[in-house]
Amino acid sequence: MLAKTNQKAALVVAVIAIVYLLLSFNLPGYTNALIDADVIPKGLGFLLLFFALLLYLDKKNETEADKEKRKISKQHVINLLVVAGMILIYIFLLEMIGFVVMTTVFIFVCSLYLDYKHHVTNVITSVVFSLAIYGLFNYLLKINLPAGILPF
Amino acid sequence: MDAFSGLMSGFQVAFSLEGLLFVFIGVFVGTFIGMMPGLGPISAIAIMIPITYSMDPSIALVMMAGVYYGAIFGGSSSSILLNAPGVAGTVATAFDGYPMAKQGKAGKALAIAAIASFTGGTVSVVLLMLFTPLLSAVAISFGPAEYFALMFLGLTAIASLADGSAIKAFISATLGFMVVTIGIDAQTGTSRFTFGNPNLLEGIDFLVVALGLFALAEVCTLVLNRNEKDDGQSKNIGSLRLSKQDIKEMSGPVSRQSFLGFIIGVLPGAGATIASFIAYITEKKIAKNPEEFGKGSIKGLAAPETANNAATSGAFVPLLSLGIPGSGTTAVLLGAFLVLGVQPGPLLVQDRPEIFWGIIASMYVGNIILLVLNLPLIPYISKILKIPRPLLISLVIIFSLIGVYAISFNTFDLYLLLAFGVIGFFMRMFSFPAAPFILAFILGGMMEQSLRQTLTISNGSFGIFLDKPIALSLIAVGLLTILFPLLKGRRKYKVS
Repeated sequence: MLAKTNQKAALVVAVIAIVYLLLSFNLPGYTNALIDADVIPKGLGFLLLFFALLLYLDKKNETEADKEKRKISKQHVINLLVVAGMILIYIFLLEMIGFVVMTTVFIFVCSLYLDYKHHVTNVITSVVFSLAIYGLFNYLLKINLPAGILPF
Repeated sequence: MDAFSGLMSGFQVAFSLEGLLFVFIGVFVGTFIGMMPGLGPISAIAIMIPITYSMDPSIALVMMAGVYYGAIFGGSSSSILLNAPGVAGTVATAFDGYPMAKQGKAGKALAIAAIASFTGGTVSVVLLMLFTPLLSAVAISFGPAEYFALMFLGLTAIASLADGSAIKAFISATLGFMVVTIGIDAQTGTSRFTFGNPNLLEGIDFLVVALGLFALAEVCTLVLNRNEKDDGQSKNIGSLRLSKQDIKEMSGPVSRQSFLGFIIGVLPGAGATIASFIAYITEKKIAKNPEEFGKGSIKGLAAPETANNAATSGAFVPLLSLGIPGSGTTAVLLGAFLVLGVQPGPLLVQDRPEIFWGIIASMYVGNIILLVLNLPLIPYISKILKIPRPLLISLVIIFSLIGVYAISFNTFDLYLLLAFGVIGFFMRMFSFPAAPFILAFILGGMMEQSLRQTLTISNGSFGIFLDKPIALSLIAVGLLTILFPLLKGRRKYKVS
């Protein structure tokens, strides 16, 4: 089982290498270039394939610590997926709703979801932080973050 | 004007009340911006450029030197406290700085970083002043073959950096190189691996990859471990005080890397990042107890911190003497110079000695202010660690998103950031080190360009490297660093 993890990883790497190589071979040629745009990618593709082979043949056992790292409970997987989902929603709505509202909501909801129980501190932090960052970037640094539905 | 009187007039500018005030403001703002994950010296300087529009050029440049040093130190702080390097030059700082912070010695780690930065910075400014003509002459003679060889060495050196499997480190590096080939090829204009997506034409920004692989992957780990009871260990920064033993331990790496870092910084392209990685590797190689590296070694923290500061001063040599920026940061600084009507180059010393010596003097002063300002501020800086985990997770996510959005104003890059976060998380799970990935990503573009230039000169023959002794020996050393860990791994396996 232990050796198999490395070999599975090697197969994934090999698939990446092969897809990358296929794409490299389909790059359009440019007649006047002595060393064309596809030379380095092809080299990298074969190099990665070679390393994948080495990894497949590598019989070195994993340490206990390495195995431990991969033990994640179902609850934790759900946690990660939910946070990732929240980030996706944030990105999707950022330019429509605006930075201040989205950031306030994100910080509050995300912290709440991750078991932060001090609601008052949470509200204050999320509001003050988003307003401060927005003010800093828009007015002091002149980097305009999306205003969205708010008039300022 | 000779060097001494030049320097004295420079100090007059830097030590005036106005000069000191603006160095102070620069250092303070720089530290603040640099601490935010994702915002490094480049963003700090770029952000400050508009503020200098109406200022006297010599005072403005004095302030910029402060911003520069402050941002580098700020970046080191977030590397140490959060394992979230804002810039590539402080990635190596996190290797031993973060473990130290986790052991409750964050205060000590920050003090070591401040002192190492100060020493590296100061020594290299002296060197910059003394050796500018000499060293720039060496760097000019470097052609694309030598540049390629140098970067190749920088990249292969990561083999010994990786703990665990060297093969996995090479796979990471190759993948990082592959990611940088996405976008329009600068030499032929062919668009590569963009799948017709216009957002990919300019390639993927460094910050997207760095914040994804480091900060967001760190967020995943934080989410998993957020309920682990902290016994106050990691939240307490501990004493700032260094024992005599500590000073003794860091004196070796600091004195060696001040010089080595400076020399690497002078070479265009090979800036703070390569200097810090090479410093880390050499110190690990020559250390009596290399197994301590990566677990909170004082040497492992002092070496890259000294080197990245020494290299950033070294990077001024090509900028000031040739007018050619050798790194991303100095490129932005060049922009700041031009905005103020100052054209760096061979004529700068003759035509505008007050500017040239003002910059040199302000680098001395910036270093001193940094130490005076930041050492007392360390307890406050490290307050970041007292933020409750759930809030910290939310804030790091937001900082990462802002860091990327503020450079591209494009939500596509934010989706990419999330994707790299996921990739970074899986790489951690399966023990593929992220550092080689990011280093290959930074060097890849330049390496490809210099290799193709070399081969174009030689009509496609690799034999050209045999005629270039410097390039050949650099590549030979690089190949040895690849073979050594592979063979060593094999031998160990046979024995067991």
